[in-house]
Parts: sequence; C-alpha cells; structure tokens
Amino acid sequence: MSIFTEDIVNFRSVLQLAYNFLAGRDYLKKKKFQERKKLISVALPFSDLVFASGAVPVFPIRMEQFKVHSYLTALNSATNLIGWNLTTKLLSFVRKFDVLKILDTVLDDVIHTINDKYNELYDLGIDHGISSDFCYGITGLTGMFVSKGKNLDANINFTIRCSAWNKYSETLKQFVPRQIWVDIPPRNIDNALELLTDNVSQAISDLEEITGNIVSDNSLNKQFRIGNQIKRFYKTILYEFSASDFYPCNPATFSEILALLGLSYQDYNSDNQRYLESFSYLVKEMRERINKGIGMDVSDMPRILLTPVFGGWEPESHEILYELGARTIYADWEILNLLEEISVSKNSNPVEEYAKFLLNATTRGIGYDQEALTDSYIETAKALNVDGLVFNQVFGCHSISNCYSLLRRKIRNKLEIPTTVINFNKIGDNVEQVKTRLGAFMEMF
Amino acid sequence: MDNIELLESYNSYLQEQKANGKKIIAYLTHDNVPIELFEAAGFVPLPLIFAGKDELMDASHSYLPPSTCSYAQSCIGYFSSTPRTHEFLDLADYILLSNHCVSNICVSEILSNNFNRKRLDFYVSYTRNSNALKYYKLELKHLQKEIEGITKERIPDHRIKEEIIRHNNFKTIVEQVSKLNIPGSEKLDIYQKAILYGPAIQAEIEEIISSYKSNTKNTNSTHPKNVIFTGCSIFINDYLMDLIEDAGGNIVLFDTWIGRNYYSQTFSEEVIASLNDPIDLLTKRFENNVYGDHCVPDSLDNKIVFLENYVNEYHKKYGDKIGVINHIIKFCDHFSLFQSYFKEKLQERGVQVLNLERDYSRSIKGQLSTRIEAFMEMI
Repeated sequence: MSIFTEDIVNFRSVLQLAYNFLAGRDYLKKKKFQERKKLISVALPFSDLVFASGAVPVFPIRMEQFKVHSYLTALNSATNLIGWNLTTKLLSFVRKFDVLKILDTVLDDVIHTINDKYNELYDLGIDHGISSDFCYGITGLTGMFVSKGKNLDANINFTIRCSAWNKYSETLKQFVPRQIWVDIPPRNIDNALELLTDNVSQAISDLEEITGNIVSDNSLNKQFRIGNQIKRFYKTILYEFSASDFYPCNPATFSEILALLGLSYQDYNSDNQRYLESFSYLVKEMRERINKGIGMDVSDMPRILLTPVFGGWEPESHEILYELGARTIYADWEILNLLEEISVSKNSNPVEEYAKFLLNATTRGIGYDQEALTDSYIETAKALNVDGLVFNQVFGCHSISNCYSLLRRKIRNKLEIPTTVINFNKIGDNVEQVKTRLGAFMEMF
Repeated sequence: MDNIELLESYNSYLQEQKANGKKIIAYLTHDNVPIELFEAAGFVPLPLIFAGKDELMDASHSYLPPSTCSYAQSCIGYFSSTPRTHEFLDLADYILLSNHCVSNICVSEILSNNFNRKRLDFYVSYTRNSNALKYYKLELKHLQKEIEGITKERIPDHRIKEEIIRHNNFKTIVEQVSKLNIPGSEKLDIYQKAILYGPAIQAEIEEIISSYKSNTKNTNSTHPKNVIFTGCSIFINDYLMDLIEDAGGNIVLFDTWIGRNYYSQTFSEEVIASLNDPIDLLTKRFENNVYGDHCVPDSLDNKIVFLENYVNEYHKKYGDKIGVINHIIKFCDHFSLFQSYFKEKLQERGVQVLNLERDYSRSIKGQLSTRIEAFMEMI
C-alpha cells in the first residue's frame, strides 16, 4: 500500500477527510460532553434530519478508538495550532527529513485501520450471537453497537426492503433504548408520499423532543443545501474525474479516495459544514492537479465498476485490478439514488421534499423489487460509461446479492460489457480467489 | 392421511377447480395475504407450504446464491426441477409477489419471470403505525383493482365480506383443534390441510374435531416432554415433526404461521358488524397482527411476552414446565438474526429454549435428531 503514499501526502483534503473519520471519537466526546449535543446513530446516508435538528449524526464505527500511529496525534495538535494547510506543508517538511518510513506507516494506518476495525467489530457481532450466516455489514454494525452503543442518545432507523436490515434495526433497542423510526412505504402508489411525509414529520418531532430544538423549514433547507452541494461534488468526482483519461493520482489511490468517500458520506464525519469544505477542496485539488499535469495517464486502463461495497468488500480488490491494468470505480450511493438532490425551491415543503428523496431512493435505487434494482445498476453503469462490472456477492446478503443472475442477463443484453462476480465473506478471507477471478475477468479486455 | 395422499387429493382438487374455469394464484405463504379477496373474485389460492430437500435447493442455484433461505430455494426448485414433484404447481396462473421478507420478493419475481406466471403485487408496510395501516389499505385496493382487471368484473363488497366471515368461521373451527388432546403431529396435519384448502374442508375438520372430542386418552401423560414450537413453520413433507416425537416430544402449541398465527386472526361478531367496508376489516386484521414477524419494531418483544405468559399459564394449569423449540430455517432473515437475543430473554424468564437452525438437506437429519433428544432430556 505504501506505493500510494506519494499521492495521499499531496492531497490535503484526503488527509483531512481521513483524519476526521478516524478522529471521530475525540470529536464526538467533545460534542457530547462539552457542547451537550445529542449523538444519534445513522447507517446508510440518512443523516439530514439529524443535522437539521442540531444533533450529531454518527456512523457508529466512528466512536471507536482506532489504532492510529502516534504521529496522527501530533498531527492533530499541529492542526489545532496551524491549520490543515500548514499541516500538509508540515508533512512534506517531515518527509524531507527522511522519516518517510514513519509517514508511510501513518498513512497506511489511515487507509487500513478502518478495515481492521471493521473486522474486529464483525467478530464482536459474532461473539454477541449474530449468526455467521448474516452479511458482513449487518454483523459489523451490530458489533459497533455492542462496543459503543451506550454512548448514543438515540438511533434513527429507515425501513427498506431488506428484511435483515429491518430486523437488525429492531434489535438495536437493546443497545440504544430511544429509537426513531421512519417507515418508508415499500412502493410509490397513490398517496404513499403523503403518508411518508407524515412519518418524516413524526421522526422530526421525535428529534425535537430529544434535542430540545425546533426543526424549522429553514434548518431543513439549510441542511439540504449543504447536502446538495456535497452531492454535486461527489458526482463531479464520479462523472468528471473518474471518466477522465488523466487521473490526478494513481488509479488505486483514486479508488481508495472513493472508498473513503463512500464510508464517510454516511454521517458526513459528523460535521456537515466541515465535510462540505473538505469535499470542495478535494474537487479543487483534483482539478488543479489535472490541469497542471500532475498525476497519471490512465487512458489505456479500462474502468471497472465494482459494486456493491457498502455492506463490505475486499479492499484489496482495487489494488488487484490496478496491478492487472484497470481502474476501479466505487459508486454505490449513486446506484442506490442516494446522490439525488433534494429540492429547496422557494415554495416547496422541505419535509415533503425529503420524503420524495427517500421514496425515490428506496423504490428506484434500492428498488422495491429486483427489476428496479438491476435497472438502477444498468442506468448507472451506462451513465458512468464503464468498461466492465464486477459484482461483489456478499455472503448472507439476501437483498442485493440475489440479483446477480438477473443483472448478468441485463448487462449482456443492454450493455454488452464484461462482467464477473466475486464472493465476499470477511475482509482478508478470500483474497486469492478474488485474484483468480479478477485475473480471468481482465483477460476479457 | 399421509402427505402423499394429501398432495394427491390436493392435486385432484386443483384439477377440478381448474376444469371449472377457476384461476389459481400461487403465493409464498405469510399471515398478511388477503386470501379472502382472491376467493371473493373466484380465484383459488395456492399457498406454497411445501418443505424442501437437497434436489430442490440445488435446482435453484442458477437463480439464487446458496446463501438464500432453504424454503425460498425450494420454492424455486419446485418449479425448476424436472420431473415435477408437485405437478399441480403447473396449474398456477399467477404468482403473488409480496414482501414478507426480501426473499419472498426475489423468489416471486424469479417464478414470474422464468416460469411464465403473471405477477400480482401486494406489498405490506414494515410497521403497523397509523400511516402503515393506511398504506396497507392502499395495497388492498390496488390488489382488488388488479384482480378486477383480470376478471373484468367488480368484486362486490358483500362478496368480500362473505368470504371474510366464511374464513373467520373456519379459523374459529381450526382453533378448536389446538385445544384437542391429540399429538402435535396430528394437529399439524390438520393445520397444513386447513391452510391448503381453506373453508372448503370445514365440514371435514368439524367431523375430525367431533371424533377426537370423544377421545379421552391423555396425550400429555404419554408424551411428558411438552414443548411449544415457534419460529419458522413446519411445511408439508418435512421430517422434523417425526424427529421431535421420536425424541419423546409433544408440541402443544404451534406458534407459527401454520398454527396460531393463522387461526388466531379472527374478528369478533361485534367487529364484523361495526365495519361495513371489508377492506377496513382486512386492515383491522393487519393492525391486530402484533405477533407477525414481518413488522418492526415490536414483534419480537410481543412474541417473548406471549410465550412467557403461555408457559406460565400452562404451568399453573398442568403443573408442567414446557420448553420452546425455536425453528430457524437457515438464512431466514426474520428468525435467524435475533435467535440468541430471543433465547437469552426467554431463559432469563426461566423458559428453556432450543434454537434449532437447519436447512432441508438430508445430511443434517442426524444432527437435528441428537440436538432434539438432548433438549428433551433437559426438560
């Protein structure tokens, strides 16, 4: 992994996003105990209502103490004193003094420590009694609640068509007694939107009760505006930069960045404004590097969409693909229609607009059936203009993994691009098989 | 009547219905399907309550990964394997796609797309709050319209209500079976048959009840290891019931879809009289279904409380402490995920629980038998 260090050191924004992800525990402690903010857990990118209520959304892994090199602690102190811009200079400065090895280790941790923690929490989920037949994502999430659930003031649940997800959500009250539910109707018929709008209003009332704050149309719209800007930046990276023949960095690093964005997008690293700034700077940095010709010509490397990864995937995959001459795109949130903007027009009702966003995401993106879900895959693959698709079949996933046979047929008929499936159970378990599969797949190019 | 006879007679029944011009709707069974609507429109409901086996599960693997619930796999297998084990499945004209669990959606979709069955959709909300009830009503009306689109005839409200009353009376009769002093296996046979045929066999069940009522033999004394059976249902042609009884067990309550969740979903005469719109009655049933495993967030807690109360009442009445077998079909989203929580909570209340997780493969039979025997020895 150290081959990517060169790229990451030069990306201030990436370093910042990664640092904010990993340093969540201290940040959240400060929010909870000094600022008396309420911590509300979220999983999947459904943090808008929590932000609008003045509470702090937390993707629960971020409450963990990560095994981060002590250098990052020093970095934290440095950022407090001199800001992130100088910190990047500081890193460059330190490198000149030939401590690259230390720096490598630190950055290696930044990328890999999240996955190590995921595995640790997965094991905790299993120890807690979750059957190993369940998907990595749900088991890992359960482990997160076993580990740090007691620190949360509430949890917000959104029903989706994945029955394991809904049942997992039901079990969370053993860790976090206060549960907020947003029941999303399974499909958009008749006045389903009106019913969902009412359910969203109820969830807002629950949040108001917990936080003691009033959620106004203004606070909702303010959050949606921030979210919309983040989504635009996210799409710029997916559609403009990832499609470019010249990358601002090594393609494997680019995939690492996409993976980090995928993870952090769920709670915006608990600070929407700061996340927006980092995202904005990331786009700026990428563009500047491309304009200056800093990076890598990737015109001869096929673009491979690897999906779904949000429920767990083998993070070596993009490195393997890179070594095989390809570049990997992670775009789960786009496929699931979770990067759609929420209207903030003058006469709109923000609660209803949010309900529209949820209904669209769950009926068209996540899909009320396999036909809808696979259509969403096809549309996104077409829009991203990828050259191949690798389907990550997560063991124990009964919602998305089951659609592969249908998806494969649709890809053959509608896209005519190579496709393959890789199996995933737990990080690090299946690397050799993934290598073999991807090796055979890349021979098709 | 053993299962082969039952299936043969069911085959003849469906053939006869088909010959009379009836359309058949197959569906993966769950407790929120409004079968009264089908019957009011002259359709014959065909619940897929048939247990699986290795060959059937294997036959599904072109469509589904092996880490899918064995029941879902077997449902595909019944349609995809040749020769057909249940020829009457070929008679199904429609597949009802519902969302009891996500595998229910996937399997129904696969059956519809690959085995040339027209699809009807019926989605159920995930909670039972006031908006969820309104949504359930929307879905009922949609389904009604879809069915009317097929028959080109409006289903009159009175027909639906008549069917609701007919099914209500039938379930009341079936409930009496639960109180009979007969072995669990015999009760199960009756429940399975009741769900297959519905009120068409009411007279037959009444006769069975009448003949058993004169039976004074105390089953409890010959089967001292009384247990409650909960979790996933036992489907037709499953060997599990034999294993339990061979180990000296007797099921006194089937707390499953095939069992209590079927026959307990009845209305009082007052409720029937008070709600004129039959769709409101069906919605009321969904609202009352507090133990159904589809909905969140309280179904598990409700179940735990119910089972604890049942065990205590049974103890008061008979002096016996009964255990609970929690049957989990491998990869079942609803019952597998919280099996340890379920067991822990009941054990805290002094109820012994066996979490019995299995698929339909033959190779697991010995292991299941050993675990059941060990549990029976404990109680």
